Amino acid sequence: MRDDAFSKRHPAVNFVFFAGAMICTVVIQHPAYLLAGVLGGGIYYLLLHGRAGLKTVLGWLPVFLVLTGMNPLFNIYGNTVLFRYFGRPYTLEALLYGGAIAAIFVEMLLWFGCYNAVLTSDKFTGLFGNLIPALSLLLVMVLRMIPNLMRKASQISGARSTIGKGTAEQDTTKEKLTEGMTVLGTLTSWALEGSVVTADSMRSRGYGSGKRSSFMIYTMTGLDWGLLAAQAVLLVGMIVLGDRTAAFTPVLNIAPIGGRNLPGFLCYLCYLLIPIALHIKEAIQWRISISKI
Amino acid sequence: MKKSHIAMLLMFLLVIPATLFFGLRLSGRAYYFTSTLVIVELLIPFLLAFENRKPQARELVVIAVLSALAVAARVVIPIPNFKVIFAVIMLSGIAFGPEAGFLVGAVSAFASNFFYGQGAYTPWQMFAYGAGGMLAGFLFAKGRLPRKPAVMGVFGFLATLLFVGPLLDTCTVFLTLPVIHFQTAWPLYVSGFPVNLSQGTCTFLTMLLFGNPLLEKLDRVKVQYGMTEEQDGL
Amino acid sequence: MAHFNIENLTFSYAAAKGRHSLENVSLKVEQGEFLVLCGKSGSGKSTLLRHLKTVLTPNGKRTGEILFRGVPLSKVSDREQAEKIGFVMQNPDDQIVTDKVWHELAFGLESLGCDQKTMRARVAEMACYFGIQDWFHRDVCNLSGGQKQLLNLAAIMAMQPEVLILDEPTSQLDPIAASDFLNTVRKINRELGTTVIITEHRLEDIFPYADRAVVMDGGKVIADDAPRNVGKLLYEQHHPMFSAMPTPVRVFYGAEGVGECPLTVRDGRSWLSKAFPQTPQYPAIPAPELSEETAPSALSLKELWFRYEKDSPDILRGVSAEVPKGSLYAILGGNGAGKSTTLKAICGICKPYRGKVTLFGKQIDKYKNRQLFSHCLAMLPQDPKSLFVKKTVREDLEEMTKDKALIEETAATCQITSLLDSHPYDLSGGEQQRAALAKVLLTQPKLLLLDEPTKGIDSFFKETFAEILANLKKQGITIVMVSHDVEFCARYADLVAMFFDGQILTTDTPRRFFGSNSFYTTAAHRMSRHVFDMAVTAEDVIRLYQKNKEAAK
Repeated sequence: MRDDAFSKRHPAVNFVFFAGAMICTVVIQHPAYLLAGVLGGGIYYLLLHGRAGLKTVLGWLPVFLVLTGMNPLFNIYGNTVLFRYFGRPYTLEALLYGGAIAAIFVEMLLWFGCYNAVLTSDKFTGLFGNLIPALSLLLVMVLRMIPNLMRKASQISGARSTIGKGTAEQDTTKEKLTEGMTVLGTLTSWALEGSVVTADSMRSRGYGSGKRSSFMIYTMTGLDWGLLAAQAVLLVGMIVLGDRTAAFTPVLNIAPIGGRNLPGFLCYLCYLLIPIALHIKEAIQWRISISKI
Repeated sequence: MKKSHIAMLLMFLLVIPATLFFGLRLSGRAYYFTSTLVIVELLIPFLLAFENRKPQARELVVIAVLSALAVAARVVIPIPNFKVIFAVIMLSGIAFGPEAGFLVGAVSAFASNFFYGQGAYTPWQMFAYGAGGMLAGFLFAKGRLPRKPAVMGVFGFLATLLFVGPLLDTCTVFLTLPVIHFQTAWPLYVSGFPVNLSQGTCTFLTMLLFGNPLLEKLDRVKVQYGMTEEQDGL
Repeated sequence: MAHFNIENLTFSYAAAKGRHSLENVSLKVEQGEFLVLCGKSGSGKSTLLRHLKTVLTPNGKRTGEILFRGVPLSKVSDREQAEKIGFVMQNPDDQIVTDKVWHELAFGLESLGCDQKTMRARVAEMACYFGIQDWFHRDVCNLSGGQKQLLNLAAIMAMQPEVLILDEPTSQLDPIAASDFLNTVRKINRELGTTVIITEHRLEDIFPYADRAVVMDGGKVIADDAPRNVGKLLYEQHHPMFSAMPTPVRVFYGAEGVGECPLTVRDGRSWLSKAFPQTPQYPAIPAPELSEETAPSALSLKELWFRYEKDSPDILRGVSAEVPKGSLYAILGGNGAGKSTTLKAICGICKPYRGKVTLFGKQIDKYKNRQLFSHCLAMLPQDPKSLFVKKTVREDLEEMTKDKALIEETAATCQITSLLDSHPYDLSGGEQQRAALAKVLLTQPKLLLLDEPTKGIDSFFKETFAEILANLKKQGITIVMVSHDVEFCARYADLVAMFFDGQILTTDTPRRFFGSNSFYTTAAHRMSRHVFDMAVTAEDVIRLYQKNKEAAK
């Protein structure tokens, strides 16, 4: 992942932001809001993933088109008939509605793409360590064991191949399956054997001897509190200061975003731009400080 | 009544119907949002029950190892797209009971997504995998079903094909369909069928070949931990 | 007041049918003491250590008492024990609980319910003291074995224990990491006054610095004294444990030296200087004329170049070697130098992009995969556990062949006949090693590859292992081993090759190889190199010492 200012913020700020953005995405179907979401999520996604990200995003375009175009095939409500096929109407309203749902789908992909890059496992467990200590410890242990087991698995297959037991390309599926199960069995024994030591090590270090606390490697700074407050204010502003009614079928009934509804929309837009703004701000500061050297 | 049980009852009787009621009135058709909220509400009581029990070290370790194994097992079988994860989850349920089965399922789904990417499907996966493990634990507990390879195999096949798989397809339905009724949904279930069938077959084969060895290994480790059936914490 | 006071402790495992694992053990450990506990595998060392912490105490029948600061240990709460008694175990990997270094450091403190401020301070302190700052944020799965074990130690020291118990902490580490680790333990004892109780195979690094050495045999304490006196006692009793003593001790008594017994290489040097103020009459052992040049090659490597990925650096940079038939060829070298990769290239697991591997006169790619690993080539992996797939050793061997007679014969060769019906995981490290070797030998290889075969096994098992290797050589099997174990290679290898920077730099007989090195060589040579020429094993030094003393008379 690239150097990203928002990723450096406290995980609570990250988590609240993504939760807000994702919930708004799946709940609000207003086209302007959806467009804002696609832009916000899309730009941040590209900032995080760079050139490789662009390829992925372009790959989602056909998905968007197919999902959009398919809706009128099932959904025949709507007054404006574009054309008929086998006597069935293909309506504009249904097409637009399909577009909205497809946009939600793509937006979720974008936000999750950002989420995965920003909220890494250690941030997640760091955030929930206090709230659900046993479960986050469980998660941490699993995340520790997975790479360990994968390495052991390749050790086992390697060892078996040097005594003439492994599999080769030309083996039958049955042979591959039996061999795979043998390796899995060995891996299981090995892992369980190790787990006895792990349990000893935990108890030896006082696990279960009393109330646990949770070490927070992340601390909230003034900026973090500020961001958290800003996020809350913008979300509330969006909810209170705007009408987001959007019905597609049978008649289009979409609230205009101008006038009375504008402040709410602007709140949402600002909310979505928070990570991008932070990212750009830091990039500029970095340039300036570099130029001073 | 235990705190966790009260939470569970409250969840089932009050919160979930309320979510459905308000969700369907919320802004047009937020199907995905409402349904996912329900799924999360279903997950919470089970997870909290574990949390509040303050699990012992060996309990944590066993569940962690099985979850990690479920995730890591995919690299072991030299056949592309051969999924072992369901079988490992269900066998965990069979060996240690419904609750452990649920946890292994939910945790392995969540943990594996840290490697392969979290997505809108995460809560659904957690629930579906967990429910699969729980079902196995429930059906094989107290000798309701015999722990024979063939029985476990058939169970694994049916549970994957008819329960876990369709549950995951339901997530796709809610996520991608603007209007949901039988006509629009069945193509998605049908298109998911071949995948579920292949995963069911994988589960069947794994249960058949690996079921007994795994249960034996778990029995061995129970002895090492000094766990006996009666004082079994799991 | 004594830190630990063990009184008449007798213990037998529940499954042991009354056989005692500990018998009438009485032991006092004073505050701030550095105590080394030695004994063969299975002598009851680990069982005794595990009794010093209630949560680790095994199930079984027990009589006698253990007092911690005068209070029966069972009356000391788990919490207090967790805080005050630190316990480091053998396996660096399995002891680690969490996925991040920083979290692992904090784990114990979290369990004690410390507040954020204390945790922050302690974690920072530990990271600095142990030099962990640079990898503080890393995933534990990216650490080396030595770093992992250091992390385990630091994680325990973060709780500020009064006693530190270590159960063979370095057996899975390479020699450099091991001696770093042991130096850290000494530093903790010296600078913080923490009481240390340690069991170790690698006595050279630690025996001289201990305040007290305790020797166990068959569950009993047979010696409990200052290290120097324990060495003497073991020698006088002709006890097998004597062979595990540091080289200077073995040389001193073996040569029937006079004066005070040296414990370190430094003391050994000055003892030899005093014994031979002038250049001795016979400074070197007459080297046998080299005649083995005629032996044909079993394996020949020509200019192997290899890298794992297209744009990663080269791991092998022109490796060339000739391994004569029927020899034990040892490849020595540091970590990550490419030794294991060379083995993989020989097996055809890694395909060099340039160069040739020729096995018994035939190029390796001319062998069909299965043909290569049957009656031809086989490798014993570093961790024997990766070969056990069944419930008993016998079933595991039966996976390889149906020929019962062959199984019995191989089991006898590897001295595991009595272990055939045990579960592989119930065996000790050295026994597992031999069981795995038996499995490998059932492919009836003509060339046997060994990856770090002496890792994690004690000096007695090493001797048995060397015996087995000698037997295999007699059967005409060629052996190539990769190792860190300088002492083992010096004693048993026919040829030693130095691997450095992706290539084999020198190849020579162990005597000439180690005899011309001054750092990377055996303790015996370091100790005697100013007096004798090319004496590389304790036996060499003893022989020369006695020969010269007799000549002087």
